[in-house]
Amino acid sequence: MSLTKLIDRRMGIFLGLLFLVTVCVPLGNLVMSPDSALHVPSFAVALMGKYLCYALLAVALDLVWGYCGILSLGHGAFFALGGYAMGMHLMREIGDRGVYANPDLPDFMVFLNWDRLPWFWHGFDMFWFAAIMALVVPGLLAFVFGWFAFRSRVTGVYLSIITQAMTYALMLAFFRNEMGFGGNNGLTDFKDVLGFDLQSDATRVGLFVCSALALAGGLLLSKWITASKLGKVLVSIRDAESRTRFLGYRVEGYKLFVFVVSAMLAGLAGALYTPQVGIINPGEFSPANSIEIVIWVALGGRGTLVGAALGAIIVALSKTLLTGWIPEIWLFALGAMFILVTLYLPKGVLGFIEASRDRLRPKAKAAPVKEAEA
Amino acid sequence: MPLGFRAASFPKDRIMTRLTSLFAPILMLLALVTALPGAAATLEELMQRLPQGSYDDRAALVMEIAATGDERAVPLLEALGEGDLQELKSDGTLVRVVKEGKTYTAYDPLTGESLGEIGRRDGKKVKVNNGLRRAIRSALGIMTLRHPDPAKRLEAAEAAFKSGDPDQLEALDAALLAESDREVATVLGAARAVAMLNSDATEADQFEAVTTIAAMGNQDALGVLLPLAAGEGPVAEAAADAVADIERSQKVWGLAQNVWYGLSLGSVLMLAAIGLAITFGVMGVINMAHGELIMVGAYTTFVVQEFIRNTMPEMFGWSLLIAAPLAFLTAGAVGVAIERGIVRHLYGRPLETLLATWGVSLILQQTVRSIFGPNNREVGNPDWMSGAFELGQLTITYNRLWILVFSLIVFAGLLALLKRTPMGLQMRAVTQNRAMAADMGIRTGWVDAMTFGLGAGIAGLAGVALSQIDNVSPNLGQSYIVDSFMVVVFGGAGNLWGAFAGAFTLGVANKFLEPVAGAVLAKILVLVFIILFIQKRPRGLFALKGRAVEA
Amino acid sequence: MSEKTQLYLNGVSRSFDGFKAINNLSLIIERGEMRAVIGPNGAGKTTMMDIITGKTRPDTGEVIWGEDTDLTKVDEAGSARLGIGRKFQKPTVFETHTVEDNLHLSLKADRSVFGTLFHRTTDAERARVDELLDLVRLTAQRDDLAGDLSHGQKQWLEIGMLLAQDPELLLVDEPAAGMTDAETMRTAELLRDIAGKHSVVVVEHDMEFVRALGCKVTVLHQGAVLADGSLDHVSANPEVIETYLGR
Repeated sequence: MSLTKLIDRRMGIFLGLLFLVTVCVPLGNLVMSPDSALHVPSFAVALMGKYLCYALLAVALDLVWGYCGILSLGHGAFFALGGYAMGMHLMREIGDRGVYANPDLPDFMVFLNWDRLPWFWHGFDMFWFAAIMALVVPGLLAFVFGWFAFRSRVTGVYLSIITQAMTYALMLAFFRNEMGFGGNNGLTDFKDVLGFDLQSDATRVGLFVCSALALAGGLLLSKWITASKLGKVLVSIRDAESRTRFLGYRVEGYKLFVFVVSAMLAGLAGALYTPQVGIINPGEFSPANSIEIVIWVALGGRGTLVGAALGAIIVALSKTLLTGWIPEIWLFALGAMFILVTLYLPKGVLGFIEASRDRLRPKAKAAPVKEAEA
Repeated sequence: MPLGFRAASFPKDRIMTRLTSLFAPILMLLALVTALPGAAATLEELMQRLPQGSYDDRAALVMEIAATGDERAVPLLEALGEGDLQELKSDGTLVRVVKEGKTYTAYDPLTGESLGEIGRRDGKKVKVNNGLRRAIRSALGIMTLRHPDPAKRLEAAEAAFKSGDPDQLEALDAALLAESDREVATVLGAARAVAMLNSDATEADQFEAVTTIAAMGNQDALGVLLPLAAGEGPVAEAAADAVADIERSQKVWGLAQNVWYGLSLGSVLMLAAIGLAITFGVMGVINMAHGELIMVGAYTTFVVQEFIRNTMPEMFGWSLLIAAPLAFLTAGAVGVAIERGIVRHLYGRPLETLLATWGVSLILQQTVRSIFGPNNREVGNPDWMSGAFELGQLTITYNRLWILVFSLIVFAGLLALLKRTPMGLQMRAVTQNRAMAADMGIRTGWVDAMTFGLGAGIAGLAGVALSQIDNVSPNLGQSYIVDSFMVVVFGGAGNLWGAFAGAFTLGVANKFLEPVAGAVLAKILVLVFIILFIQKRPRGLFALKGRAVEA
Repeated sequence: MSEKTQLYLNGVSRSFDGFKAINNLSLIIERGEMRAVIGPNGAGKTTMMDIITGKTRPDTGEVIWGEDTDLTKVDEAGSARLGIGRKFQKPTVFETHTVEDNLHLSLKADRSVFGTLFHRTTDAERARVDELLDLVRLTAQRDDLAGDLSHGQKQWLEIGMLLAQDPELLLVDEPAAGMTDAETMRTAELLRDIAGKHSVVVVEHDMEFVRALGCKVTVLHQGAVLADGSLDHVSANPEVIETYLGR
């Protein structure tokens, strides 16, 4: 595949901006003196790192929803599983520096009077193992779930509802202390990763850069997939599933592939998210979280990848700003966003910008569908 | 040897009890006989004799006092038992002395009338020992066994059953003879049987007692029989048989109780889901704000109750009946507004309606939070909704029962509306073929608005019911949305019977899993089951079949 | 079963909620044969195609492909891979793809997930797509989105996609619907050309079109074969006249 096909105009602009931010933020944080106007405070670095993780998560959802028509209302689950995998490693890294100073068991297990590590915690003391698990576990869940769902041709709204049930069930499960993932409180009090102090500026900048690289990588991988012939088959499935079958394509296989890839990207986002926010808890599995991801994608522009990333950053930034300003207004704003985007911006912000730029193309397609039922 | 007076279930203690009480029954019997009608001694006279004689004499006297049946004897005997009864050195009057701070006050032991302060050494205690205390307790028990109020008698009989004191045997016999209330008599019989078992009655009597207790068939009976069955001999064997019988029947009742809990949960699920089944089934619209419409109904109930409390508290019993139509209308109006404002622009795009209505749900939640605050609001149960009754060994609370009845009424009403009214006919016409219905002059837009409004109104009714069993908070809706979707998806959209069957199946399944797996795990298992079930039947239990659907 | 048999249906029945859409249907299509299937609405034409392509499973009966392949055990994608191409009554093309991409996606090629992921378009494929574009007269529209085509052009594109699959059997449902008379005749001509190399089953309402095909006709009624033979022959059948043509 040619590079121009992989990095088209949108992708080029976005990656350029991302590169700029990735260079400037570390400089602003580490090099500029705190008094300087150009200084980037550490909390802002962590915050931006978090946004980049959200952006990667949005790209993952766009890959399945935008290109294959699978509206997953459970992508938060894959994200959270990735986060938990990394969280487990960070818990093991704490070692005997916990409150109970137990070298073998994380604090919450000591608190629950457990005498040894559950079997599924073994191996997480090694970073590479946790990193692989952050991809494999979400991927495996997506594979099992998708294998059942796609084979029996559960589609549309029904699929959305059972993905929601999936993340809801996982949330309930992770709330239980007996599950061995810290129950209600989740995993927290992390000290360091790979020997780097999580509180230090350098580590935060490092994680921020990793997130930016992961986002760029995720975007390019997704772009490569969607620009391939397989990507075209995905769009065919989205628009005319039955026709695609009659052409000889096994639709369930394609859906399964893209669902698993997407889940792994979401898991990667989660794995980068946990060390930057310092906690992972069962709230990440809540159905409301997963639906919020959908609005990131819808707002930015479904089926554009770059738009999804943009949408995530816009929504997350507005959330930070609005909740800091007038907390009550945030849910009103988010609710209005859901309504207005579906009614008036079916192609999202990116689609809107490009449509108003390209005066040549007829505007009919981007126009609101208001008069449909009149 | 205070241990001897504790629960009679330990054999060693039982022996002690027997030793100390060898002659007590005889005395009591004597007392009762002498106290039967015709005995002239008044309570006052008997009381005056209390300080005299030995402990045994006093015990006999206590029985005589009890036999007078005079209610004033109760405080007297209590005072005696607590060692508060004193004989004044000056004139030999019996008074009850209570230490209040540093001073001592004398009271009339029969009337409770204050007789003024006395010195610490003015009186002489009427002494009691453990044997006498036991006699007093029995006497008090007998007194309440003869109380004119059947509820008090029942209480006393239950207490007698629990103590299982063989000393009470005669008192129980006498009470049983006199008892006219059947329920009290049953308990008395059981208490007598327990007392019999604890006494050294003949084997035949003990057999009979085991039979009597076994007939109760409940946990209490099990409590008595289990230790007995652990022993040896024919009585123990009979007890073991009885235990097995009771455990079997308890299993059956436990099953029935689970079914009841399941039906109760099912009725709640059905109420929550049935409105959704209409909007989803009839219109193909995923209304994520459905849970918030339930919340609107619950808050309407709250407002109605507040209004009634402040203006006409005597009407409180009617509050729910007043709230129901208002909740229906309020939620229905919100529903129509959602349909006209948003949903109608999105027909044929179910995933978009899902997102837009989710936005509505966030706004409704925050609106309610801004108006009523983030905390739970107090919605009261009217009298007829509180309390419980027993059916066999089932405990059925009135609020759950009424909610079940209410859900069935709503279901039946909805069925009738869809099948029997012109509006229902139009709705079904639009479901089956929108274009043709429009051609035939049906205003599909109006039907859509009404259908959506109906679904929303029913959510409002569900809110009234849920306000009785759940916390009324801005999060109320969120906790039901996943469950309601599960019901609709499981039952099959577009079919009220599907929602009905789905709700009750899931409710009962959940409650049967709960004792085995715990509440949370049960819920997870049910969710997993539904996810797997959808694979087998992607359109639910009661799916519409045929070619038309696949198009 | 003879070597020449392409498709063999024997005693096939299928009912939906008690309604017998297909009732003891038997049919043989030979290799290279063209067959027109006619019948009133609800005669079971679409259900028959659904059964052949594995979309619907018959309740009873055999459906055999070629020598001995059991089609009742195959899904839609499987039937397509065996060489059965299907064109729908309502033209279904991939509206958000270009005309060219529609054809590329239909070309006979590796249909596996990783096969398509790593697929590189070959010169042979490009040449074949050019050829097909020319055949269905859409060369000028090759870069347009299929959704922007006219109804008739979509019909052509779908026929082109069918040909791109290079199937052994083509199931064609009302190809002439929405076409002008000239286009209809051209379609008939095209189908006649195809027959011989491929087997073709055409379901059609338009008698002119059927006449133009000039092939054996099977009349379906209530899920079973009422008559077959040449168009003139079946037209003369009194039962056929009563149930279908006579109205």
